Amino acid sequence: MFAQDLKFTASVNRNEVGTNEQFQVDFSVNGNVEGFNPPSFSGFEVLAGPSQSTSMSSINGNTSMNTTFSYVLAAPKEGDFVIGPATVVVNGRRLNSTPVHIKVVKGRAAPQNNAAQNAPDNTVSAGNTSDLSKLIFLREVVDKNNVYQGQQIVLNYRLYTRVQIEQNQLDKLPDLTGFWNEDVKNTQQQPQVHIETYKGVKYNVIDIKQTILFPEHAGNITIDPIEMTFVVQQPVAATNIMDQFFGSYKEVKYKAKSTPLVIHVKPLPEAGKPEGFTGAVGKFSIEASVDKTSLKTNDALNYKVKVTGAGNIKLLKNLNTAFPEDFEKYDPKISDTVTEDANGVSGSRIYNYLLIPRHKGDYTIGELKFAYFNPTTNRYVSLSSKAFHVNVAQGATENNVTAFSTSNQQDIKLLDKDIRYIKTSNDDLYRDDDLFYGSVLYYLLLFIGPVLCGAAYAYRRWDIKNNSDLVKVKNKRAGKVAAKHLASAQIQLTANNTQGFYEDVFKGLYGYLSDKLNILYANLDRETIAAVLQERKVDSQLINKLLDTLDLCEMARYAPVTHISKQEVFEKAKGIINDLENEI
Amino acid sequence: MIWKMKFNTLKRVLCLLILLVVPILTFAEGQANTLFEKGNALYKKGEFKQALETYQLLINDGYQSAGVYFNMGNASYKSGDIPLAILYYEKAHKLNPADEDINFNIRFANSKTTDKIDEVPEFFLANWWKKIILGFSISTLSVFSVLFVLLASGMLVVYFFTNSVSIKKLSFYTAISLFSLGIISLFISDRQMNYFNAHKQAIVFSGSVSVKNAPVSSSATLFIVHDGTKVNILENNNDWMRVRIANGNEGWIKVGDVKDI
Repeated sequence: MFAQDLKFTASVNRNEVGTNEQFQVDFSVNGNVEGFNPPSFSGFEVLAGPSQSTSMSSINGNTSMNTTFSYVLAAPKEGDFVIGPATVVVNGRRLNSTPVHIKVVKGRAAPQNNAAQNAPDNTVSAGNTSDLSKLIFLREVVDKNNVYQGQQIVLNYRLYTRVQIEQNQLDKLPDLTGFWNEDVKNTQQQPQVHIETYKGVKYNVIDIKQTILFPEHAGNITIDPIEMTFVVQQPVAATNIMDQFFGSYKEVKYKAKSTPLVIHVKPLPEAGKPEGFTGAVGKFSIEASVDKTSLKTNDALNYKVKVTGAGNIKLLKNLNTAFPEDFEKYDPKISDTVTEDANGVSGSRIYNYLLIPRHKGDYTIGELKFAYFNPTTNRYVSLSSKAFHVNVAQGATENNVTAFSTSNQQDIKLLDKDIRYIKTSNDDLYRDDDLFYGSVLYYLLLFIGPVLCGAAYAYRRWDIKNNSDLVKVKNKRAGKVAAKHLASAQIQLTANNTQGFYEDVFKGLYGYLSDKLNILYANLDRETIAAVLQERKVDSQLINKLLDTLDLCEMARYAPVTHISKQEVFEKAKGIINDLENEI
Repeated sequence: MIWKMKFNTLKRVLCLLILLVVPILTFAEGQANTLFEKGNALYKKGEFKQALETYQLLINDGYQSAGVYFNMGNASYKSGDIPLAILYYEKAHKLNPADEDINFNIRFANSKTTDKIDEVPEFFLANWWKKIILGFSISTLSVFSVLFVLLASGMLVVYFFTNSVSIKKLSFYTAISLFSLGIISLFISDRQMNYFNAHKQAIVFSGSVSVKNAPVSSSATLFIVHDGTKVNILENNNDWMRVRIANGNEGWIKVGDVKDI
C-alpha cells in the first residue's frame, strides 16, 4: 500500500451554525480501518453517531476503499469551538485528522416550511442519522395556549416522523382533566400526511387526532403527554455490498411520548359581566318563537329558542326564560345540531319549552335575556329575544285543573250540594242615601230622649223650688181661690139665691185677701185690711171701693139691698180682684 | 194633673217615634218592589243572567239591601261567575253580617275558587268580638239604639214626676238598663261601621294575578292569586295596592285586578 496516499480528513457540512442547530461531521479515510478513536467533542452534543459507511471502488485494477464515520452534532452554546483530532489506525499506521473550527452563532430560527404538500417527500427517509428520538416524535399542538375560561381550543396530536413506520399502537391518551372536550370526527379514513419543517428539519406529519377543549376553570392546566409505541425501520450500517446498495434496515420498537403542554386559562373578566350570564363563551345569536299566540286554557303552547353560534354551545345552561308564573312549565327538550371541526365547535341548540296555561287571561312571555363573552373582542355581549303576548281564553273543560293546589278542595264533605236559595222578602230595601244610621233623623231621635230628660229634670227642679215657698204659693193661688168663689157666686146669682150669692162674694173677697196678704182668715177685719193695703201702697180709692163692697156684702146678708143689682156687685168684686192682682 | 200631662207628652213622643221608625223597616217603593219580584221570578225560571240584570236595575236606581245583593250573588253563581258571586255575597254580608244564608253561600262559593287559602286562626277573644259586633245589621242596631235611648228617657221622666215610691224605683232601674242597652248598641254599631271601614276588602277578578313585593312591575313575584280570592286592602299607592290574603301573606297588586266590596 502507498502510505503517502493515505488521507484522513475531517469535514463538516457547514462551519457556521446556530445554537442547537444540527450539523454533521464526517471523518473519512481511504483505507481499511483497523481502529477509530473519535475526538472528545467537548462543547458539543452528540445527537447521533457514529455511523460508519464504507465504499469501495475499483478503477483500472486499483481498488480503493473509503470509510466514513459520521456524527450529528449540535452546539448548545455560542462561541468558537474546535473539534479535536480523531485518530485512525490504517494498515498499522496511526493517522490524526486536522482539527475543525466551528463558529456557533445565536440560533437563528429554523426555517419553517409550512407549505403543506400532500404527497410524502421521498427524500425525507434518506437521512442517515440514527437517533430515533429525532426521527420520530409526538407533539401536542394547540391553536392557542392563552385563553379565557370556556374559550375553545383546538388540540392536535401530531406525529412527526422521518422513518418508515411499520406498526403503531396508541398507548395512552391524556385525561384532559380540567377541560370539557369534544373530539373532532375524522371524515377521512386514511390519515393525511403533510410535510412540515420543524427545527430546520423536514418531517412527514400526521394528525393523529383532533380534540376541542373548553377549559373549565382558570389557572394553568397541564395536558398530559400522549404515548405511542411504534415499530420503525431504522437504517443500519451496511455490512455487505448488497446492503450498501439497497440500504440496510432493522425493525426497532420505539416508545414515543410527547412533552406535557401547559395551557394558561384566564378567568372571565368581572367588569361588565351582565346579569344572567351563565358562562357562554364564543359568538352566538338567539331567536325565540311561539307556535301560537292565542289559545284556550289547558292547551299546550310551544316556546322555541334557537341559539346559534360558535363556542361552548353544548355547555349552555338553562336559559333565563321569563314565563308568566302561572303557566305550567316543563323542562325544555334540547336538540343540538353541532359540528366539530378544526375550527372548533359551531352549530345551533334548540330549546323547546312546553307551556300549559291553566287560567284565562292576557299573559306576556317576557324577553329572553342571553349573555355571552366574546373572547376575540374581550367583551360581554347581551342579547334579548322579542316578547310575546299570549291571549288565553277559557277552555271548554269546566273542571279547574290547578297547578298549585296539592290537595284539591273536594276533601270537604259538603252535605249541602248547592248554594242557598234567594231571598224573597226585601223588607230591608232602601236607597243608598237613606241609610238610617248616621242620618239627621237618627241623631235627632237619639238626642230627643236625653234633651227631654234634661228638660223634665229642670222643670221638676223649678217646680219643687216654687212649691217650697208657702206664702208665694198662697199668693199665687189667691186669684184662683177667689175665682172659684166668684164662680160659685155666679151660680147663686143665676139661681137667684140672694143670701148665698152675697156670702160667696164676701168669702171670695175675704179668702182672696187672706191668701194674698198672708193674714189668717180669723184675724181679718176691715181695719186690718185697710192698714195692710195702705202699707202696700195700694191706691186709696181702690181700698175704699173694696171696703164699700165688703160692707155691702155684709149688709146684704141681713137686709135686702135695692140701690145696686147683684150683677153690679158681682162685676165690682171681680174688678176689685183684678185691680188688686195688678197692684200687688 | 201634672203627671198626667207628662204622660201625654211621652205618648206623643212614642207615637212620633213609631211613625218615623216603622217606615224605615218596612218601607219599599212600589216600583223597586216590582223589580225585585220580577228578578226573583226570572231566577225561579232559571234565567239567571236576566235576573241579575233586573237586580242591577235596582242597584242602579240607588237601592241596596242585603237581600238584593244576596240574590245577585246567587244569580251570578248560577250563571257560572264565581268571583262576581263572591263580590255580591260579600256586599250582602257587609249590609247584614248576621245572616246565616249569606255566610253559608260565601263559604260555599269560596270552596269553588282556585285558591285554597288556609286562614290564620284568630285568637278566640277576637273571634268572639267579631261575632258580637257583626251580630246585627247596622239598620237594626241603629233602630235599637234610638228606641232604647228614647224609652230610657221616658222612664227617667216617669221617675222624675211619679209620686209612688214603687213606680219611682221600677222606672229608675228600667231607665238605667235601657240606657245601658242603648249605649251598648250605639257602641256596637259604631264598631261595626269602623270594622267595615277599616277592613276594606276586594275580590280578585283577573284570572291570575302576580303578587309583587313592591309596587313596581319589574319587582319579584311573591305568590299568585286567582280570581275569586278575597284580599284585605292595607294601603294604596297610585294604581297599586298592598293586600293581605287570609293566610297572612302580603304583597302588591294592581288596582285594576280587583273589585272593591
